[in-house]
Amino acid sequence: MSMTLFMASLAVSCVAALASVLCIKADNTAKTLGCLGGAVAAVLSLAAGTLAVFGDVTSIDTVVLFPFAHFELLLNQLAGLFVMLISVLALAGSIYGLSYFDEYPGKKGRAGFFLNTFIASMMLVITADNVFWFLVAFELMSLTSYFLVVIEENDASIHGGWLYFVIAHVGFVLIMASFLIMSNFCLGEFSFSAFRANAFDPTVASICFLLAFFGFGAKAGIIPLHSWLPKAHPEAPSNVSALMSGGMIKIGIFGILKVSLDLLSASGTQAWWGMLVLAIGAISSVLGVAFALQEHDIKRLLAYHSVENIGIILLGVGAAICAMSLEYQGIAVLALMAALYHTFNHAMFKGELFLGAGALLYATGTRNMEKMGGLFRRMPVTAICFLIGSLAISAIPPLNGFVSEWFTYQSLFNVAQLEDKAVMAVAVLSGVALAITGALAVTCFVKAYGVSFASAPRSKAAAEAKEVPAPMVIAQVLLAAACVVLGVCAPWIAPVIADIAISVLHPHGGVFASEGLALTNQYSGAATSTPAIAIALVVIVVAVIAFRKAMQVAPAQKSAPWACGYAPNEDMPVVATTFASDVAWFMQPLYDLRDNCTKVCWSIARIFQKLVGIAETVEPVPDKVLVDAPHKGVEWLAQVSTKLEGGNYSIYICYIVVALVVFLALAVFMG
Amino acid sequence: MNNIVLGILQAVVIAAVAPFFSGLGRVITAKMHNRRGPSIFQDYRDIAKLMARPESQSEDASFALRIMPAIFFAVSFMLAMGLPIFTLESPMPVFGDAITIMYSLALARFFFALCGVDSSNAYAGVGGIRELLMSVLIEPSMLLALFATALVCGSTDIATMGQHIVTGAIDAPVAVILAGIAFCLACYMELGKLPFDQAEAEQELQEGPLAELSGPSLAIAKLAMSMKQVIVVAWFCAIFIPWGEPATMGAMAAAGALIFLVKCLVDFVLVGVISNSVSRSRFKNLGNQTWAVVGIAVLAFVFVVVGV
Repeated sequence: MSMTLFMASLAVSCVAALASVLCIKADNTAKTLGCLGGAVAAVLSLAAGTLAVFGDVTSIDTVVLFPFAHFELLLNQLAGLFVMLISVLALAGSIYGLSYFDEYPGKKGRAGFFLNTFIASMMLVITADNVFWFLVAFELMSLTSYFLVVIEENDASIHGGWLYFVIAHVGFVLIMASFLIMSNFCLGEFSFSAFRANAFDPTVASICFLLAFFGFGAKAGIIPLHSWLPKAHPEAPSNVSALMSGGMIKIGIFGILKVSLDLLSASGTQAWWGMLVLAIGAISSVLGVAFALQEHDIKRLLAYHSVENIGIILLGVGAAICAMSLEYQGIAVLALMAALYHTFNHAMFKGELFLGAGALLYATGTRNMEKMGGLFRRMPVTAICFLIGSLAISAIPPLNGFVSEWFTYQSLFNVAQLEDKAVMAVAVLSGVALAITGALAVTCFVKAYGVSFASAPRSKAAAEAKEVPAPMVIAQVLLAAACVVLGVCAPWIAPVIADIAISVLHPHGGVFASEGLALTNQYSGAATSTPAIAIALVVIVVAVIAFRKAMQVAPAQKSAPWACGYAPNEDMPVVATTFASDVAWFMQPLYDLRDNCTKVCWSIARIFQKLVGIAETVEPVPDKVLVDAPHKGVEWLAQVSTKLEGGNYSIYICYIVVALVVFLALAVFMG
Repeated sequence: MNNIVLGILQAVVIAAVAPFFSGLGRVITAKMHNRRGPSIFQDYRDIAKLMARPESQSEDASFALRIMPAIFFAVSFMLAMGLPIFTLESPMPVFGDAITIMYSLALARFFFALCGVDSSNAYAGVGGIRELLMSVLIEPSMLLALFATALVCGSTDIATMGQHIVTGAIDAPVAVILAGIAFCLACYMELGKLPFDQAEAEQELQEGPLAELSGPSLAIAKLAMSMKQVIVVAWFCAIFIPWGEPATMGAMAAAGALIFLVKCLVDFVLVGVISNSVSRSRFKNLGNQTWAVVGIAVLAFVFVVVGV
């Protein structure tokens, strides 16, 4: 059932993509067809993913085009979770696009085509169970998203797109190398099921893991391979930014999980892999949020926050790998559950925030927060949704970010209690990194929300902004509601995700599975805190407000803010730069580090420029060989054929007779 | 059910005594300045007076400024229900997890700082930013100290940690003592007293983000802030000075409440004396001072690893 729905969703995506292209001349029809088709496909795949998560695991294995690589799809519980995550984002993104693509006149058909193919290719990457098709879908995903990044065709988008293109392909090469090495040790088998069954030599397994970790890490945006994120994501249309930041970079996480805990499961994981993942995760989370604090472009700020959240997810993944290698399955289940939960949560709140940023861009025409301000009164629904997203990403209880970070802390704490001292030190320091990240994220989102929505408007565009059209509002409300539900309903959602973690770590169930559940239940006891916190907060807040209302002797009197006796003006309130300069005072070394790294990037850019120069001189050479030679050959053939074909009927009959004889002779000899 | 009633009672008692302890601070300050100073109950009078006043509100402000006092109070009240304050057991353990407490305080801080930005008052906004940056500098050492203690006690639940320490069932006592010192320093910074009172560091930043609040809103915010100070002290006592509190809930909790109030009195007198004996440090030097706390917390963790 789940596979049928999944294939139907892929088919609808393809039809919608084609319809967008066919109607490319009728801009609005193309947009409507593309977005509605995308929404229908998303609903179908959401149903498929949900069924798979609840145990309807299905697969197909057929031969399409290439006999050496079977077209194998596997929709298991893990894939189901990622399919769900991307479906929700795709649904919101498609609805949002109905209005938002109006910002791209003349390019709506293109946007509709690439949006649908992008979503379909992500779905294929998640379910592909064969190296060849996995790589094909992965490349397709990179290419379609590249075209969405450069859709504006201005300098910034082309530069961002180029950076993205290069890093995506560096990653692709590493992933391919990893898979081909594994394939080589499996007697050239291309099917993932063969990898799963094979126990690799520890050295080979480590090499494959490292290649895959950095390859998929480039897609996920781990530091030091993150530089494309803040350049490429902001340039894409905002709903595509939501899909890229919320969805596509999760494919990197999916790949890391797939290789380390699934494909290499028979070979056994090693503790140092986990420590490496923890270290990279800790660095990514702290630096990601520190860099985000310096941004006043709201979409770049959000893109840097993706680096941070990928780091937090990796903390869970690393803890899971450590616990697996030390053979504490229960803790591994807990840690993997934390990672998967945060993956889903991040997709929801980051999707919401990017859609909110898109709404700001739509309403004010700028991404610069310094030029916004006071938008709460102009766009209240967007403001409330953005506030929910901000609280969720800052891990504020009782929203979803808090739940998964709480589980991440608990898994780090449990891993730190194991006997391995090195793992203990890395896990505790990762916990400290997570604490710094949390405090910085609060600062950053007080800034993002406060500077854009609170205070007074700082530009004419902000003063005259209007609430965005209904489809964009609906999409934002959908994702904001998901943030609340995933937070407050944690006691019921966590066991489902724990079940997925068990299916990854112990596919055959049995003793470990039940032990894992018992352990997780023991720890997850306190996760039931979110409903209690939500009830307590709402009750007390309502009571206090009612009390204040009762005490009120007269309606509040409006006055200008106090400015120590000066007449207040719009230059006085704090802006994004106020936050940035104070933070920079305490963290200057980090920013110096980044600036130095960017210098290195420029030297690489110069190498590329030289390469382009060389290519320009080398390019004509193969042209001479490859193009000119066949060209001359064709001309020669034409001259010869004019001799053969003189218009004489008897010669033609002669040809036919000769041909007949040749065929007869062939038939006789072959027979 | 009983526990819920006890939890609410505990929170109500905390709310009732909080202005007393903030008044105590003012009295100590006045005595050390050789002034007669206000009565120890002055803060109760201030709150009552503000409650009866009409409000004046910045014209640029939105709902963030309106809702902040309620949220700040709700967080303080919720934590007062969850901490094991009067007994070694927590009345509502769902609120009594170390990480939950840290992030609940972040909720209060988020709106506290946002209120400053929202009021459109430049000084309130700067005060809000300073409050946020303080937490960035404090939280790492706070968490490291908590993690070190939790590793020794085997749980991040505050009540369990306190119970382990009171029975002495711990493997690494030196580590716990060091972690206690680091946590104590971090809590002191969290109280916002001199030399770390950054939100009020300039004359214009007086009261930080509260500058644009008035009337009942200001009264609620003031009450919530003094409650938060008592809660921070209670948090420290619950983990590191749990001695004297009865083991379980019940009638004995009343005795536990008295013992807690005595502990609070001692702590607040000490805090008052210290904060009046030092000068205010510059905001930009704050990073240097927090490094010392991080150092002690790291040392505590090293002792946990070694097992001493």
